[in-house]
Amino acid sequence: MSGRERARDQWYLLLPAVLLLGVAVVIPVARVILLSLSRVDLAEGATTFAGLDAYARLWGDSRWWSSWSNTLVFTGCSVAVELVAGVAFALLLHRTFRGRGWVRALVILPWALPTAVMALAWGWIFNDAFGVANDLLQRLGMIGAPVAWLGHPGTAMAALIVADIWKTTPFVTLVVLAGLQSISADVLEAARLDGLSAPQRFRRIVLPLLVPTLLVAVAFRVVQAYGSFDLIYVLTGGGPGGSTETVSLYAFQNVFRYLDFGYGSAVATQAALLLAIAAALAAALAGRKGGRA
Amino acid sequence: MRAAFFVSLTMGIASCWAVGCGTVDANRDGASRPGRVVILVPPSERPAWQEIARAFAATTHGVDVEIVEGPQSTDLRENLYTASLLARDPSFDLIYLDVTWTPKFAGAGWLLPLDDRVAPEELDSFLPAALDAGRFRGRLYRLPVRTDCGLLYWRRDLLDEAGRPPPETFEDLRATARALQSPPDRWGFVWQGKQYEGLVCDYLEVLRGHGGFWIDPETGSVGLDRPEAIEALQFLRDCVADDPISPAGVTTYQEEESRRIFQDGRAVFLRNWPYAWRLAQADDSPLKGRIGAGPMVRTEKGRRTATLGGWGFGISAFSRHPDEALAFVRFVTSLEGQRLLCRDTGYAPARIEAYRDSALLDANPFLATIARVHRDAVARPTFPGYALASDILQRQLSSALTGSVSPETALRRAAAQTRPLTRGTAR
Repeated sequence: MSGRERARDQWYLLLPAVLLLGVAVVIPVARVILLSLSRVDLAEGATTFAGLDAYARLWGDSRWWSSWSNTLVFTGCSVAVELVAGVAFALLLHRTFRGRGWVRALVILPWALPTAVMALAWGWIFNDAFGVANDLLQRLGMIGAPVAWLGHPGTAMAALIVADIWKTTPFVTLVVLAGLQSISADVLEAARLDGLSAPQRFRRIVLPLLVPTLLVAVAFRVVQAYGSFDLIYVLTGGGPGGSTETVSLYAFQNVFRYLDFGYGSAVATQAALLLAIAAALAAALAGRKGGRA
Repeated sequence: MRAAFFVSLTMGIASCWAVGCGTVDANRDGASRPGRVVILVPPSERPAWQEIARAFAATTHGVDVEIVEGPQSTDLRENLYTASLLARDPSFDLIYLDVTWTPKFAGAGWLLPLDDRVAPEELDSFLPAALDAGRFRGRLYRLPVRTDCGLLYWRRDLLDEAGRPPPETFEDLRATARALQSPPDRWGFVWQGKQYEGLVCDYLEVLRGHGGFWIDPETGSVGLDRPEAIEALQFLRDCVADDPISPAGVTTYQEEESRRIFQDGRAVFLRNWPYAWRLAQADDSPLKGRIGAGPMVRTEKGRRTATLGGWGFGISAFSRHPDEALAFVRFVTSLEGQRLLCRDTGYAPARIEAYRDSALLDANPFLATIARVHRDAVARPTFPGYALASDILQRQLSSALTGSVSPETALRRAAAQTRPLTRGTAR
């Protein structure tokens, strides 16, 4: 078989995947971008070209700006805590102890629950009159009177972040655990013989070797938190006072509640674009750092 | 990128269907078979509708009605309908419409106009306010089947014990609530303060009680930054602020959260819909025979009114059985259908003579109160941008209630954001 034939065969083998990607991703995304440049009149069934009107409208829209800052706060806080907690849990689970298999299986449980279901449960946990959160904190003497966690802008966002951390830390734990298992025991053994203490081994050897794994975990979590919808939709619906409305929620409201397809698509396109730029920057930065090391 | 793609993907698919008119064949084989009418109802209403469907099948030949159970949440059902109708999907022949949905659904061309199908004299027997909610740009798209009106409930036993009459004014309400409450075991007043449609309903009653208005249906002018509107919001804010009569959690409550607190005997006053009466008067309720109800209170400048709610049917523009669907609507809105729907459920009928029907009144004497309150029920504004106007108001009310901004600032913002929407909406 000549080299050219082999190359052609490889293309045939790729074709199904390319087609699937085209139908499932490229066409809808192109459609949304096109839609963000249009004005749709459902009653008339007419679509007219509107240019960049929708994008211009974004700048003057205070609700859009606040949905942005909410998204950033939510993503930043939840991913940061998840990363630290995930690494800690992974280090614990990496040790050998009796019943480790069971504990590892249990840890994944929150991740396996449907988000909407667990959001409903968290809703009751945070309830002011019947909630477990208030009961516990009052018993511990940390608060004097019941707090309506979902009823104030600051605490509602905090409650959302807590629920998200509970749900997705297991994901980070799993990824990091896989990374830990790929670190050769010989290296650590050698370090121990050289007289490095446990914290030193973690800082000098484990952490640097974990960096690629951590980057993967952060990339996945940032993307997921950034587009988070179900948890927020169920728990707060964007309230109180719009303090927990994220960009994806706002895009959804525009399309499904206000039937404003152009504007909703512009919000979604703009969000996806910004994430793509951020991802490219992060990748470039990581690449440069990796090259230097 | 995955999540961002997912968002775009979902919307992309929805919008492809929306705009790709003609790319989806509306006549493809859907769920509904010939002679079968499909409706989607919340789980709590399913038993009542099934009984009506059976009675309907007995009176007609060959037409049956399939009752599909949807989500209990109104917003989720609205989204479900929206997705289905955007796809020009014929699965649902009748759309079970909330009182505020007509402009959105009719404006999108999803409902058949009923003017040529229903004779004007057939319409005389409906409650006028409920019927009006089904009109859009002069045409009728929705026939009401049951109505709702906001009510103020009170603990008659506690008021009698203290020798206090039911309140007439906001001052009475506040004073009585304060005198009879002993928080956190018993609160003065519980209502719906979460950022959602229910908050708008509550606020509108307080707003009219102060003599204010939201959007004038005649002129399209916006009254949210007028002094009465600010006083009205200040009243609600004072309920939760220092020396409160409402629990702090009221800003997270929808109907059920507030009703449970009242029914547990932990509140003196409750704002809710008529369904709360039947539950509070049930045999296993600690409040049986101990409550009273009336319209929201007022100041000397305002009126005691109720926000109009309720449900009705529109015929889907994509239905393949519009005639059978209409026959079913006629049956439900007949006196017999209204009896079947309202006798055991406690729902309020949409037909005037049902309120004089002894069978219904015997089963539910509370209908007399509802009929009285209903005379002063006021509908929410009707224009296609309603959902956005409501969301603007919800956000600002919620911001003020949770103390992020002052009522005045919140309402000035709401008014400024609402004005561009209402231009050209005057009748």
